[in-house]
Amino acid sequence: MSEGGTARPVRPRPRLRTFGITAGLLAFTGFAAREVEFAVSTFWEVWNNPLWEKFWPVPWDWVLDRSNVLDPLVETFQIAILATIVGCGLALPISFAMSRLTAPNRPTYLVSRSVMNVVRAVPDLFWAKLLVTAVGIGAFAGTWALSVFSLAVMVKLFSETVDNADPRPLEAARATGSRHLPAIRTGVLPTVLPEYVAYALYVFELNIRASIVLGLVGAGGIGRVLEAQRQFFRFDRVLGMLIIVFVVVFVIEQISVVIRKRLV
Amino acid sequence: MTATHTPSTVSRPSPPSGVRRRRALLALALVIGGVWSVTGIDVTVERFLGAPGDAWDIFKRLWPPAMDEALDRGVVGKVFESVYIAWIGTIIGAVLSLPLAFLAATNVAPRWIRIPVRQLFNAIRAVPELIVAVIFIPITGLGPWAGTLAIGLHSVGTLGKWATEAIEGVDTGPLEAVEATGGRWVSGMRWGILPQIMPIVASFWLFRFEINVRASAVLGMIGAGGVGAELVSQLMFRNFSAVGAVLGITVLVVLTIDTMSAAVRRRIIAGVAHTGGPDDGDRNGQALADLTGFRR
Repeated sequence: MSEGGTARPVRPRPRLRTFGITAGLLAFTGFAAREVEFAVSTFWEVWNNPLWEKFWPVPWDWVLDRSNVLDPLVETFQIAILATIVGCGLALPISFAMSRLTAPNRPTYLVSRSVMNVVRAVPDLFWAKLLVTAVGIGAFAGTWALSVFSLAVMVKLFSETVDNADPRPLEAARATGSRHLPAIRTGVLPTVLPEYVAYALYVFELNIRASIVLGLVGAGGIGRVLEAQRQFFRFDRVLGMLIIVFVVVFVIEQISVVIRKRLV
Repeated sequence: MTATHTPSTVSRPSPPSGVRRRRALLALALVIGGVWSVTGIDVTVERFLGAPGDAWDIFKRLWPPAMDEALDRGVVGKVFESVYIAWIGTIIGAVLSLPLAFLAATNVAPRWIRIPVRQLFNAIRAVPELIVAVIFIPITGLGPWAGTLAIGLHSVGTLGKWATEAIEGVDTGPLEAVEATGGRWVSGMRWGILPQIMPIVASFWLFRFEINVRASAVLGMIGAGGVGAELVSQLMFRNFSAVGAVLGITVLVVLTIDTMSAAVRRRIIAGVAHTGGPDDGDRNGQALADLTGFRR
């Protein structure tokens, strides 16, 4: 005010701590870049690599042959369907145990919650590899791995829905002297069921995507063929398979999205 | 209304028509889908029931984890390599996606460029990191650089989409002010929009970094650098106590990074809610909703 006129406001000075954090992050970035062998020139080298020619032309008659791509792709979808049913089915009771609103007692709540946090912290393909080791190579291991993964995602999403459910119907049911399970069945379940179905469809979409890569670690489905062709250096076939796979996945997802939109 | 037939006890209202039929159809579809899937996967009742036992046998042997052996083999270094891959990959994704997001936003980009850029984001999001890595490994050779490129490229899809939505949600006042002074398009973006979206976009980057840490751990399994390779080789030798150690260290690092990153994101978003408009604080929730496809 004392100076008059419209001087530009003084820019706030960055604090010493800000400098420290910035310097630390830059140093970390530089170190990480060296560790992953980053160099701007490598972009150019990747782009100009003559090996790209091996991806083309796509051998369509091999790709469109039923037993090469289509049958393993069907197996992939069967894994995804089964895993969705098993995972989401198990998730229903566990989610109720994991929600503060409906947990039967505090120990159940704490134990189920922390177990599920650890399960989710293990990446999905680590589960697949562990189960492949346990029950043998093939679609069966993949189904189990994907079931565990669906369960972990589903309880996370759905238990939050249960947390936010209207508690009044539950109180009403309890006030009538209802036991725990019937109270949940009539007081909570009807209000959260539409979201449960919608989440299950979402998990199904995730599973379709995840099941494609399961085969890369020996857990069956289209990934198995992908891995084999990759090891034969038939990148043209790899590219052709990927095109088919993503067209089919895209169609399935669009259908699922339409159903979900109608539900919620 | 004729009250002659009113029963003395109040009966439960019958469910709306069509619910029963829809439920039956849904159940039928589930059963058919399940049975069809079971026939495709060679599974017998015996094998199905035996599997949890087999898995439990393995899990039991993960304990106690052979921490000394894992430390000797440099597992901690491998986990950190995964973190480096995720960090550099996220930076690559962020640097590539931010300019593209300006070209994809409805309120600042013309239609002819918007549509192709949006389709590019969609196409990238559809291809998992592992598949991108499968394509890149023959080109770059095995090693962390393949994983970094795969994560960087895949991140462009989601980061671009989120940033686009952030741009579409801005207050247009500053942009108009820049235009009124005769500023060019680029100046409008730099001074009118970027300051508004930066906090929220930074929190998206951090969120993506959390996802990428898990993804890069997995990428190692096919030889793209990081801790995954260690897990695969220990499992191959059936050295389960070492596997337990690898899993333990990975989970510990993943959970630590999640916690730290979530704390930083909360602070960034809290700052936005203080200075920005009323709906600013909700954009992170919006991104989460977008990731899961649901609103809270």
